[in-house]
Amino acid sequence: MSIGERARPIDWWLRSLGLVDYTADLSEPAHLHAAVLRSPHPYALIASIDTGRAERMPGVRAVITHADFPPGALYQHRGGPLSDRPPLAGDVVRNVGQEVAAVAADTREQAEAACRAIRVRYRPRRAPLTIAEARAPGARELHRRTTGLRNVSVRWAADWGDVPAGQAAAAHTVTGAFVYPSVSHAVMEPNTTLAAWDAERELLELWTSTQAPWFIVKEVAGLLGLSRDQVICREVAVGGGFGAKSKISEHEVLAAALARKSGRPVLLELSREEEFAANKPRHRFETRLRTSADADGRISLFEADIDVDNGAYNHMGSSVLRVGVITLGSMYRPDGVRFDARLVDTATQAGGQFRGYGTPQVSLAVESQVDELAERLGVDPIELRLRNLGAEWSTTLCGYEVTTNRLGPCLEAVRDGLDWDARRRERPAGHGLGAAVGMHGSGAYAYEFANRSDAAIDLFEDGSARVRFGGADAGTGQRTILAQVAAHELGVPLDRVEVLSMDGEHTPFELGAWSSRGTHMTGSSVGQAARELADRLRTLAADKLGEGRIELRDGQAVRGDSSVPLGDLVRLSPDSVDGVLSHETSYLLEGTEMLTPDRDTANLSPTYAFAAHGAEVHVDRRTGKVSVVDYVAAHDVGRAINPTMVEGQIAGGAAMGLGAALGEELVREGGRVVNAAYVNYALPRAADLPRIRPVIVEGDDPAGPYGAKSVGEMSIIPPGAAVVNAIYDAVGVRVRELPATPDKIIDELARQEGRVRKFRIWRRPDRWWIALVRWAYPRGLHHALHRWGVRFGPGVGPGPDAEPQPEELVVAAGAKEASAALTGDAVLVGGGTDVLTEARLRPARPARLVSVGDAPELRVLRRYADADGDANAGADAGADAGADAGAEADASELRVLRRYGDSDGDGGGFGLEIGAAVTLAELAEATERLAPAIAAAVASIASPQIRNAATVAGNLVQAKRCWFFRNGFPCYKRNGALSPCYAVLGDHRFQHAAAGAHRCQAVTPSDLATVLTAYDAEVEIVGPAGRTTVPLAEFYTGPGETVLGPADVVALIRVPAAALRRQGSFEKLALYSGDFATASAALTAAVDERGAWSDVRLVLGAVAPTPWRLTAVERAVEGTTPDLATLRRLVDAELDRHADPLPGNVWKLDAAAGLVEHAAEHLSTGKGAER
Amino acid sequence: MTGTTDLVVNGERVTVRADARTSLARVLREQLRCTSVKLACERGECGACTVLVGGVPRMACVTPARLVGREVVTAEGLGEEARDLQEAFADHGAFQCGFCTAGQLVHAVAVLRGPVPGGAELEPYVRRRLSGNICRCTGYNGLVDAVCAVAEARA
Ligand code: FES
Ligand code: FES
Repeated sequence: MSIGERARPIDWWLRSLGLVDYTADLSEPAHLHAAVLRSPHPYALIASIDTGRAERMPGVRAVITHADFPPGALYQHRGGPLSDRPPLAGDVVRNVGQEVAAVAADTREQAEAACRAIRVRYRPRRAPLTIAEARAPGARELHRRTTGLRNVSVRWAADWGDVPAGQAAAAHTVTGAFVYPSVSHAVMEPNTTLAAWDAERELLELWTSTQAPWFIVKEVAGLLGLSRDQVICREVAVGGGFGAKSKISEHEVLAAALARKSGRPVLLELSREEEFAANKPRHRFETRLRTSADADGRISLFEADIDVDNGAYNHMGSSVLRVGVITLGSMYRPDGVRFDARLVDTATQAGGQFRGYGTPQVSLAVESQVDELAERLGVDPIELRLRNLGAEWSTTLCGYEVTTNRLGPCLEAVRDGLDWDARRRERPAGHGLGAAVGMHGSGAYAYEFANRSDAAIDLFEDGSARVRFGGADAGTGQRTILAQVAAHELGVPLDRVEVLSMDGEHTPFELGAWSSRGTHMTGSSVGQAARELADRLRTLAADKLGEGRIELRDGQAVRGDSSVPLGDLVRLSPDSVDGVLSHETSYLLEGTEMLTPDRDTANLSPTYAFAAHGAEVHVDRRTGKVSVVDYVAAHDVGRAINPTMVEGQIAGGAAMGLGAALGEELVREGGRVVNAAYVNYALPRAADLPRIRPVIVEGDDPAGPYGAKSVGEMSIIPPGAAVVNAIYDAVGVRVRELPATPDKIIDELARQEGRVRKFRIWRRPDRWWIALVRWAYPRGLHHALHRWGVRFGPGVGPGPDAEPQPEELVVAAGAKEASAALTGDAVLVGGGTDVLTEARLRPARPARLVSVGDAPELRVLRRYADADGDANAGADAGADAGADAGAEADASELRVLRRYGDSDGDGGGFGLEIGAAVTLAELAEATERLAPAIAAAVASIASPQIRNAATVAGNLVQAKRCWFFRNGFPCYKRNGALSPCYAVLGDHRFQHAAAGAHRCQAVTPSDLATVLTAYDAEVEIVGPAGRTTVPLAEFYTGPGETVLGPADVVALIRVPAAALRRQGSFEKLALYSGDFATASAALTAAVDERGAWSDVRLVLGAVAPTPWRLTAVERAVEGTTPDLATLRRLVDAELDRHADPLPGNVWKLDAAAGLVEHAAEHLSTGKGAER
Repeated sequence: MTGTTDLVVNGERVTVRADARTSLARVLREQLRCTSVKLACERGECGACTVLVGGVPRMACVTPARLVGREVVTAEGLGEEARDLQEAFADHGAFQCGFCTAGQLVHAVAVLRGPVPGGAELEPYVRRRLSGNICRCTGYNGLVDAVCAVAEARA
């Protein structure tokens, strides 16, 4: 195997089993566990930090604060005046989540408890949280900056080329304001460091999740006052980077400082919440762009005004801004470019380096406007791009010296791959096609030594080889690619090549994998090392085989008919040491330049990669949901060293770009991230994406190693614009602010169609009080409640004194026993899926768990003879199912149920009895034919793994899913009457009520509640007072709140026979597969031969605090065959009569009405769908 | 930790320490050194910790260790049954960083034990079934291809 082959990853066997060691998997050296105390305020002065109590707590070995670092210690990053961030906050915190102190203890729980015991006296101050606030007159200045502009850390403004000529040529001009939000890498392996300090040798060893060990060494050494050779990184597997791990974060130095202070190795793992809320996401760009073209469609001018949200500190903002701006002058060939860009400080988590590095943000604007110009000009968008291609072997306005450029063939590949012309002509309603292009370098000359890469190769006496390089492979396949390169040059089989990376003691100097430099730089240096070693081997072989042409292949040096194994040459070499022949080399790249403060243009990279992407989307006009149905990504990669890996980088980057296009965004409220959890962060799951079709447009770039260019970052650049262009093509909605979530589509469609909803609150006295409060919220009420709640409320987390309680587990055999055990703080556990998460986030409670998951009486799932049914048949069913079925009887019962479902009418007299502890998966299986709408609703809940564990009752009684409530905001429901509801002013577009909300705006999250309400289900409750039965429609008293008393246990759910005889359908709008409903609709009706509906139930989920029956609509359609337009009119009327939405969720009413249309359409088929 | 519980893990009976709210994932990783069980969220939302409990895929991070009650199988214990899937994973680029991979593999093994639809139904089915396992690296292309290829080869 060698260059150009689809080699398997070199460690595929162990890696596919999860058995390569990531940092947190290391048990050696034995270590302490660390936790970090973070600022709860966006901006506050620190009056004092008292760690005394924490230090005395059990298991605690070290506590560090800013005082443990040399005075004035700052992360260097770009250096000079741009350095502004201390390792731990000293006298001020500038963002929620900023590190204030850290603790190492025997267990993580102890470290966390000790963090809570550290007393920090903050003096909170108002500070700007957005670009607009930061630039407003009078805004607090977060730092002293040198630009002379308020809160502007860096300003870059210039003209490139001939701007007046571009203006003169302009025949068409489009303008617009674009936003690419802050998105998270969401790497699967949370950032983690294991640090060990050897006091005797004064040596620090680090095992850390990084793409670039050298940067870690540099910064850690600087912050701890060590020399660089006192800090050594070791090799470890790294679980995804995408830029997140390409520079230092904070965990590295905090673990190191704790290890030094405690004298023991320390492991610091970020939690997923910290990963989202406290790490460094993509910088938000607000780009105002004007693009002009001449009458022939030649782009003549870009004029841009760009604000980049820096966050609270300069992490990589200055260079992200530059690379973003360069987009304007790199890909096309306008006469001129004019830009004014500002890096703006806000009191939020600092932005960082993220795959694409500013380019996706600006590309969104450029590529959207190219499409807008194409429409003005009446030219096909791909055609317009072809007319404006940059030339090969030319210099761009931003100073790039482009070598090969195969963007034209990439665009053609998209056109062919999507069958562009035909599908744009004959597309079905709601479908649209869009394309976008992009360009990216292959390793930027951004730092001193970035143009250098060293590598070494060892050859052993057994003929095997080892590549040593100082970079790291976070998943891009670099280790395999380098092994392929070495195997190719040395003529050694690939499985005889191993790779040592990262290790600072045993690998030569190398800056690491960032800026798409992995393949280019290390591919070049390893290739060079291997070639030089091969030359030495040929010389050695010539001694043995005689002069002449000597080839290295199959582990041998071969001349004519004679050969010698390479291992023997190692033995022969006088340079071999201990049976190893080593060769080290240094590759120096010529011809690239750094961007320095005094120059505006530079040739940053040796080669530039290009790509064209094309998307076909379907836009559901009823719900606003956008689905990508086909996607082609054509890349000019030069030569693919390993095509499978290149395709993997293309598909992976495109998928990530599609996530950002359609759903991803870090949402903040009061400077704090609201959606710091996968469940609230709409990144694509497997069912949300089509197969991405990568196309490798090969060329041979003379500048690259083996003709290769970069690919890893390129693939994330075009998807944003490709998708919004396709949406426009589909429904005429131009989305300029990502992500293109359903609310934006629906709002714009409503505007275009002139639809306005009127709620007539003045005629509804029951809403006056709510209206008044909502009016007062932005006028000081929210602020006052927030301040009061934070100061006087009981607090959301465990208090400083709270330590984990001794726990008790009661395994209840039945409902009665469970009810008896539910005293005090006890909590009922079904599948346990919610309880353990709560336990981790709020460890202080509860002390007692009462498990009912295996209680036989609660595990029944059977047909029962309904009062209105046929008694004889009922008896049979009862016998079949087994009246006292326990857990062991499940399987046979399920079989019985399926048989009943199979033949129509059979068992028509029976209701369905569902034990509280039946799992969702079991319910789905049982209702697949019996009541497909129930099965469809269940299938839309969470994930298969959760459905295998979560119980029916657990789903019905789960607490509200409001992301403020769940993610620790001190809201009214958690923190008492003096606290605000954060949804009123916060982001309430998806999860909150549009009707009937009072102080809490949340909804009942259970999809099962919605669908079972449409099936007239009843809930049987066992409590201290005995057994009672409540209709599900009366079970909920508020959002995720029920009639259950503290010692009440749900025992059974009954679905009556009459309801099961009706047709049903369930429809749900969710941001990703498995998400909680943004809105849902369940419909059941008896449909006679003529198609007339009777006994209709129409229920909306996630629109009001509790499942909402549209009774007026039900009555109006009774006995008729409603056409969709009539139904829609009736639904709209009832919604408008009762709804009282918040400003951001009016659209949900449209979506809900749209779901009713879908449900009506699917009523006859019984199928439902998640949308 | 105050309590203990008995488990059968990859065919072996073991007694482990566990409180009421100790997760199966922590027990597997910390006491039994089954480090194929990764923790990427510890809230049941990503699938990195997927294990089989009584043959059924579950999120080990939100499974109380003391309430497991059935045999647990992790990637370490899949044995021969996973070999063709592992090979297909490697050949189709189903993993890059590998952090999600053991969870995907365990889940895929369970999916392929059941009946799977053929033809055009297969890919959407596999996508739906694997939607509880987030992969941030691959865009799922390689994963879905690999599972489909094995499903077809085994059919
Ligand atoms: S770690 Fe268990 S689901 Fe994410
Ligand atoms: S391979 Fe990295 S997350 Fe899946």
